[in-house]
Amino acid sequence: MVTIGIPRALLYYQYYPMWLTFFQELGAQVVVSPPTNRATLAEGVSRAVAETCLPVKVFCGHVVSLIGACDYVFVPAIRSMAYKVHNCSKFLGLPDLTRAVVPESPPILEVEIDVDQGKRALYQAIYSLGRRFSCNPLKVKRAAQSAWQAHQDYVARMRSQGLTPLQVLEGQSIRDETRGYHLSLAVIGHPYLVYDSFVNHRLLERLDRGGVKVYTPEMVPQAGLDEAMAQIVGQAYWTYEAEVVGAGGYYLENQVAGVIGVAAFGCGPDSLMFEMVERRAKKLRGCSFMSLMLDEHTAEAGLVTRLEAFLDMIQRRRQVTACG
Amino acid sequence: MRVTAPHLAHLWVGLKGTLEELGVESVPPPPTSRRTLSLGVKYSPEGLCLPFKLTLGNFIEALEAGADTLLMAAGTGTCRLGRYHLLQKQILQDLGYKFKMIPLGVSEKKFLGLLHIFKFITGGASWAKIIPAVLLGLKKYSVIDDIEREVNRVRAVEREKGAASRILRQAITAIAEAKRPHSLREIRKYYLEKLAQVPRNPNIQPLKVMVMGEFYVVLEPFSNLDVEIELGKLGCEVHRNLYLSDWTKFSFFLNPLGMNEKQRVHRAALPYLKRDVGGDGWESVGEKVLHAQDYDGLIHLAPFTCMPEIIAENIMPTTKEDVPVLTLICDEQMGKPGMLTRLEAFVDLIRRRRKAREKAAI
Repeated sequence: MVTIGIPRALLYYQYYPMWLTFFQELGAQVVVSPPTNRATLAEGVSRAVAETCLPVKVFCGHVVSLIGACDYVFVPAIRSMAYKVHNCSKFLGLPDLTRAVVPESPPILEVEIDVDQGKRALYQAIYSLGRRFSCNPLKVKRAAQSAWQAHQDYVARMRSQGLTPLQVLEGQSIRDETRGYHLSLAVIGHPYLVYDSFVNHRLLERLDRGGVKVYTPEMVPQAGLDEAMAQIVGQAYWTYEAEVVGAGGYYLENQVAGVIGVAAFGCGPDSLMFEMVERRAKKLRGCSFMSLMLDEHTAEAGLVTRLEAFLDMIQRRRQVTACG
Repeated sequence: MRVTAPHLAHLWVGLKGTLEELGVESVPPPPTSRRTLSLGVKYSPEGLCLPFKLTLGNFIEALEAGADTLLMAAGTGTCRLGRYHLLQKQILQDLGYKFKMIPLGVSEKKFLGLLHIFKFITGGASWAKIIPAVLLGLKKYSVIDDIEREVNRVRAVEREKGAASRILRQAITAIAEAKRPHSLREIRKYYLEKLAQVPRNPNIQPLKVMVMGEFYVVLEPFSNLDVEIELGKLGCEVHRNLYLSDWTKFSFFLNPLGMNEKQRVHRAALPYLKRDVGGDGWESVGEKVLHAQDYDGLIHLAPFTCMPEIIAENIMPTTKEDVPVLTLICDEQMGKPGMLTRLEAFVDLIRRRRKAREKAAI
């Protein structure tokens, strides 16, 4: 049986159930690299050019940790997920970049997803990936359909039950509402930063322990995302713009007392998107906004200090408004 | 309507010509300076690249000079540059300026898109007026670039340093003033002859160096701290992989006809990078593969945090085709002495490498 390795980085958090179903239906075994740790990060940082953004360095580290554990590593090149909406260069060049940075990696299984090119091209791309496992087109089609279904279920569960991707992937069913939260905050950003607890120094856990109920972009209803996007930027330009601009715009006006934006240093799309959200927050004035820039030099103590200061500020703001 | 656009190499020479022909008032931003840069840096988010900051600085200075209509490149499928006009508009509005921003999606709509933009700016002038005016502007670019190509060769061997650059400056002034295609042809001939007469130092064996990388920093001398002139002083014959006139010629006229000047470059890059990564990342890898034999060294220019060029930077060292590459990252922190030191070391390296090869060949 063929073993496919999936790095626990970048798009893993968005598409893992889909990929897993697809490969399993085609009779392959799937292994996922262990959660990010010091060694993964050090490996990635030492290999890639210094300027490369943190998530890509982490990704390379994960590929290294899969060496010897699988026959292939799955590295998709996602060019676009909608008509006329494009993706960051790092997602387009990811397979080639991985090959260059980790030359000893297992053979790379790549697929180019470009929805902008139309359905036919998309189906062909999926078929050419599936053909490596089965020469029966119907089997590939069935696998692709159930993979898509798995993805839809995954998204629907996060949205309807208010779960984060990690909670769904770990098999938690219902959000634990019994604990007494005294504050609600939203954390927005790309899933590979928000849910990688090593990279963000356990941000979500810290907030949760501090009695803060955390909302994430996955919990925003589609209509809310669309409305916020239309208001702030008009039409989407980046594939993963909704999870930053859409969710940011939505939370600035709904449900929460503050929004924390998590971005990677040197991220091209983020540099534009977070600026838009920040300007929007300044205009609205109702909701506090803080941006956290992460890179491999981010120190835990610095992050904690900023977090504490932000929480204190929100508390004080509440007291002032309560006193009238 | 007082039209402006950011500086990009000699963009304004042609643009001003076209706008004057059409009777549109134009306000070129003051030449890019330290002030432009600090204005741009002050009002830009820090994570954005140098082209964003410099173009924003240009806009602010042009608005101060009285411009009210801003032209800015746009369009999907490129790098984040396609989105800059949106954020720049917001920043400038928040600063309290009153203006109209016209995003130019020229790379999608080709020549027709360009003509329609001029139709809009002139408030509906006749095509018979617009087309010759636009063609005159484009012709100016091609004359400048013909002269500049030669200047880049002469700089390496001229006896009196700075002679070729002086001729280039005179030529640009003459081209800016030219009103008809006929006089442009004469200007071209006159200055090319003048360049041929520049006294040369026969002892210098120039090294061949290619300057390539991201569009804006390759074309705009302020952003790359005149890297071509400095290389010339060090005795390098500089070739550039892109010129404004080549770009306009291909992206306006030939690409829609299915001709692509970059096809060769893309094919060369295929073994290492299979697809376009936006911006000029694919071309950078391709140029290295394609021209490894033709040049003694490559200078790879990229703005800080440029995503496509980072991909290229990661991939370039792994190519089989071997040629020394010096990547220079351009941003507001860049200083001339630092760059010069690196250039000198690089030129020493390629000169020694060339000598070693010549010896081995004997």
